[in-house]
Amino acid sequence: MAADGDRLLRADGNRLFRQAITYGGSWTVTLGAAALLGAAAELLLPAVLGLAVDAALGDADRWWPLAACGLVVLIVATDTLSNLAGGAGTARTTARLRHRLLGHLLALDPRRATRYPVGDLVGRLVGQAADSGQAGSTVVLGVTAALPPLGSVLALLLLDWRLAVTFGAGLLLLAAGLRAFVTDASAAAAGYLGVQGRIAGRLAEALHGARTIAAAGTVRAEIDRVLAPLPLLRAHGTRTWTTLARASGRTAAVAPLLQLAIVAVGGWSVADGRLTPGQLFAAVQYAALGAGLGSIVATLNRLIRTRAGTQRVATVLAEPPRSYGTAPLPAGTGRLVLSNVTVYGDDGRPVLDGIDLRVPPSATMAVVGPSGAGKSTLAAVAGRLRDPDAGEVLLDGIPLPRLSRSALRHAVGYGFERPVLIGDTIAEAITLGSDLGSGRQPDAGEATADERPDAEGASADQAPDTGQPTSEELAGSGLAGADGRLVAVARAAAIDEFVERLPDGYQSRLDATPMSGGEAQRLGLARAMHAHRLLILDDATSSLDTATEHRIAAAVAAHPDRRTRLVVTHRVATAAGADLVAWLDGGRLRVGPHRELWRDPAYRAVFAASTSPRTEPAQPAEPAQPAEPTEPTGPAEPTGPTGPAESAGSAGSAVEAVR
Amino acid sequence: MSGVVRFTAAALRRRARPLGRLAGWSAAEALPALLAGQLTARAVDDGFLAGRPGTGLAWLAVLAVAVAVGAVGTNRAYARLGDVVEPFRDELAERVVTGALHRSTAAGARPETAAVARLTHQVEIVRDTFAGLVMVVRGFLFIAGAALLGLLSLTPVVAGVVAVPLVAGLVLFAAALPAMVGRQRDYVRADERLGEAAGAAFAGHRDVVACGAQQIVADRVGRQVGRQAEAEHALARMAALRSLSLSVGGWLPLAVLLLAAPWLVRRGLTAGAVLGALVYVATGLQPALHALVQGVAGGGLRFAVTLDRILHATTLPTGPATAGRAGAGSPPTAPPRPALAEPFTPQPAAGASVRPDAGTPSPGSAGAPLASGAAVTGSGVGPPGTGTAPARAELRGVTFRYGPRARPVLDGFDLTLPDGAHLAVVGPSGAGKSTLAGLLAGLLAPQAGTVLLGGTPVGAAEPAALARHRVLIPQEAYVFAGTLLDNLRYLRPDAPRNQVDAAVQRLGLLPLVRRLGGLTGTVHPTALSAGERQLVAAVRAYLSPAPLAILDEATCHLDPVAEATVEDAFGTRPGALVVVAHRISSALRARQVLILDGGRPLRGRHDDLLARSATYRELVGHWQGGDPVPAELTNS
Repeated sequence: MAADGDRLLRADGNRLFRQAITYGGSWTVTLGAAALLGAAAELLLPAVLGLAVDAALGDADRWWPLAACGLVVLIVATDTLSNLAGGAGTARTTARLRHRLLGHLLALDPRRATRYPVGDLVGRLVGQAADSGQAGSTVVLGVTAALPPLGSVLALLLLDWRLAVTFGAGLLLLAAGLRAFVTDASAAAAGYLGVQGRIAGRLAEALHGARTIAAAGTVRAEIDRVLAPLPLLRAHGTRTWTTLARASGRTAAVAPLLQLAIVAVGGWSVADGRLTPGQLFAAVQYAALGAGLGSIVATLNRLIRTRAGTQRVATVLAEPPRSYGTAPLPAGTGRLVLSNVTVYGDDGRPVLDGIDLRVPPSATMAVVGPSGAGKSTLAAVAGRLRDPDAGEVLLDGIPLPRLSRSALRHAVGYGFERPVLIGDTIAEAITLGSDLGSGRQPDAGEATADERPDAEGASADQAPDTGQPTSEELAGSGLAGADGRLVAVARAAAIDEFVERLPDGYQSRLDATPMSGGEAQRLGLARAMHAHRLLILDDATSSLDTATEHRIAAAVAAHPDRRTRLVVTHRVATAAGADLVAWLDGGRLRVGPHRELWRDPAYRAVFAASTSPRTEPAQPAEPAQPAEPTEPTGPAEPTGPTGPAESAGSAGSAVEAVR
Repeated sequence: MSGVVRFTAAALRRRARPLGRLAGWSAAEALPALLAGQLTARAVDDGFLAGRPGTGLAWLAVLAVAVAVGAVGTNRAYARLGDVVEPFRDELAERVVTGALHRSTAAGARPETAAVARLTHQVEIVRDTFAGLVMVVRGFLFIAGAALLGLLSLTPVVAGVVAVPLVAGLVLFAAALPAMVGRQRDYVRADERLGEAAGAAFAGHRDVVACGAQQIVADRVGRQVGRQAEAEHALARMAALRSLSLSVGGWLPLAVLLLAAPWLVRRGLTAGAVLGALVYVATGLQPALHALVQGVAGGGLRFAVTLDRILHATTLPTGPATAGRAGAGSPPTAPPRPALAEPFTPQPAAGASVRPDAGTPSPGSAGAPLASGAAVTGSGVGPPGTGTAPARAELRGVTFRYGPRARPVLDGFDLTLPDGAHLAVVGPSGAGKSTLAGLLAGLLAPQAGTVLLGGTPVGAAEPAALARHRVLIPQEAYVFAGTLLDNLRYLRPDAPRNQVDAAVQRLGLLPLVRRLGGLTGTVHPTALSAGERQLVAAVRAYLSPAPLAILDEATCHLDPVAEATVEDAFGTRPGALVVVAHRISSALRARQVLILDGGRPLRGRHDDLLARSATYRELVGHWQGGDPVPAELTNS
């Protein structure tokens, strides 16, 4: 099984490697021709140089020097062309591989993609795709680079077998010298890296405490503290250089001595009349060229790296992308049905096991349960963030996989506990994937208090409740409308004030805007607010203070479109405010109004347990004398349905008032 | 890029002596290059061609000795390289650390966490490439110089003819160098941008799919792929330029020599001399130039680009830029600022500040109640006897905004904190609570208005002088690797041991002290929980001599009981206390509450605010009502 999979993957890798070679196109062909021609010229040059020398000495045709010059020109030309074609071909191949990989990765089911850590995926796209992009040039150069060294050994043999023997012995010495270095150097580097890590660790600590240091005015002392191990680093560093010195001294002696030996042996042959002076020079040059044999190892290494990189790219490309249907959204008001839905976890155990759930149209359903009960999985399945392993999810009667991508996008919006904001600016982050993104973004100055649309203004902008605004309608509503809706969704998520206080308002750069978890959550909420049929909030207000959460709950409920809301929550007030509660526990699902479920102590325990790490002792309602430490009276416990029921009343009425 | 040249030149000037030694050994290393042609010529002419192979071998033996000497030279040169390279790395590391800490502690700055990667990654690239560059450049100078000198001794005419194209090739290469550096920089940047864009996209894969934005995001990142490919293509064109300069400087001399050889031979040049000249050009000059061009175009470009980035990223703010800003983060080169006046009242007796009797009510807790909503002025709130002292802190008409177009976080805001004041600041996240703490601490400078500490404006004060007046404990507690005692004495190195012990007891740090095996036990910040780190920071601040303590969500990771212990301890500490509240319980302990909710700041006692502020009622009400989850006023 596993061996089969490995073989399949290797086959994928081989296929991609062959494709990558062709991706370079004409550049790879040019490179091959230039490199081949260049190698031939390089191999001929020493012999022709020798003849040119003999010609100068009057022992050969006087045109040989010109021939040598011609070869030099050819070598320069092919070298220049090889560099250009190799670089350009690699650039083209890499870009094609990256585009392909990028499109594929983003088209994957999130569940498949998250099996790879982000750093791993970035590594594949940036690092391994670049390695793989060298497929063409590596193969071409791997073939041609071996020609001159191998040819020169042959040439030495042809000139005089004694030269070839001398050369072979010298090469062995050279290799021994290089091997010794590798072992020495790695030992010296370890100590160096250790000290370097210590300095980096101290710097990281100090940066973490920057505000304390700023307040204490101890910057100078901190700098000294961080840099204290520097002399030790220098000591280790110096050791790395002395190691290198030993190795380079060795190689510095071996290479020239090899040439010297060739001259000595060749000189003897000259004395005996076997060689001309020109051939002696040719022998010296062939020896230098032959020493390039060492570079064949490097070429092999490159080939191995390219193959490995290609394999890693191919592995991800072999993951099947998710597909979408073609169906448009039918008329409806967001009736969500989960039918016999089963989802298995990565360990193979069911997270959701044959769940049936009907969410009435335009209702708010809270999803509660202990952590690990599958709340987020339920939320993910409900809006096709992932497909169930078995069963069906229907929105207004149509199975989600049959919906087209744009229909699904219009229908469903997701708010997350930790949203990842994508885009250069705040406006881009909020409008990601929605029609609002197409319009001109509002100017921070214009979008402030004077012109902020109130809830009614916003709703007037929205399409009437009978249907969903099509993209044509949205495009036709004009740029000002898009601006207004951007501010409206920001307002609904209670993030408008935060954005308007930024130096550039909605155009503030995301990476230059420090924000808390709660602020990021609210921007993520604003991004989801465009949903027309189904708004899924997966613990999306957990970082907010209660007052802000209530403001958002009211805004969500006040949405003029009829849409269904699925809210994963840990807070009892949110559950109490919902029309219905879906209570997940150990694969079991119970649905009912909060008031009914509250009678069950096990249901009440869900809220007690989920807040236990942050449980606070109850405080007396009246302010205690400030200096007296209040007596802890044990962990907070819901004392009955009264409290939640009250909240339920108030939040519920807000929902009803709008409907 | 001129900064790179200036910085490198200055660093080399400072290393004149090690460089001199390096040059000496490099000269020894070049000995074979100097003699190779000459001795080959002698060996051929006097030995092999003259039918005396013994003489030829003898000359070659002399050359072998020269090679041995050269090898020793190479060895010593590399060994001396550390004396040039390691101090250079030290300077860079100092620069990175100094810059990062100064800028991270400047007014309104965020910690520059990228500096850690800069230190471990970029500084190391510069170290390695700098060493390579030094070796390659001096190698070229000595080897090429020796070969030319040898050629000159062999046949002066040829030396002249060969030198011209060599210099021309070098000039060509030097002229192309700035463009090469530019292309390399573009390439590195394109690579980084691609990595960032892809990282953001993959990290948000779930969000991308949830928004149906796969194609949009693929196009976004795809644009970076395209730019990267362009940059790589441009780099390939530069490689073509490189081989052109190599052909002029390295191949042209060989061609000239070959074409001139018949003529030279006719003028009496021997066969050995022709061979010797070819040896000088083909095994001396050409490889030396090749190594130089490859080395500079490879590691050299990386050196220039990486060093340039380090220098840019670590440029310290200059004097005028920080003038008028709060004192924190001023570079050491800035002129010393006038010290703030010493605190008006003498320091509280040491024993009093660390009295371990926890139950003692704070002075003035039974003091006259404030008129509802009135300014917290000195009269009536402070403990008896300190009524005449200047306020510990005072904000007068303070306006602060984060950008010229941003709405002010505070607008014409007044606040007076006398001795004995205990103020809690509450409000939803983002309402400016931490900003107020930063203003009070003198870490942020208001656009209008004055902040006074002990009656003196903070604007021109040195950070050290500010530290004598107030202590700020931020949310992110700073604990460094070292002994616990050093950590606790951070703000008051001379704190007596018994006071440290008492403070440890009073604030509840004893369990940690025991776990670490006493105060002299070593702390590793990563081994402590967030709450323990906050407790260490709290004890440290408690020991500080500063009379004004500002707790900016400093106890958010503590459990409510521990939080109460800490706040009560600070409540009985002489001086004034400001608590930016994380939980509403902090407001209940305070004598005064300040509400920041984006509207007009409102100040008063708990009861008054319950009656007057809807926001406050909501904050307290939601928490005390049916919701068993304590209202987290802000998020951490």
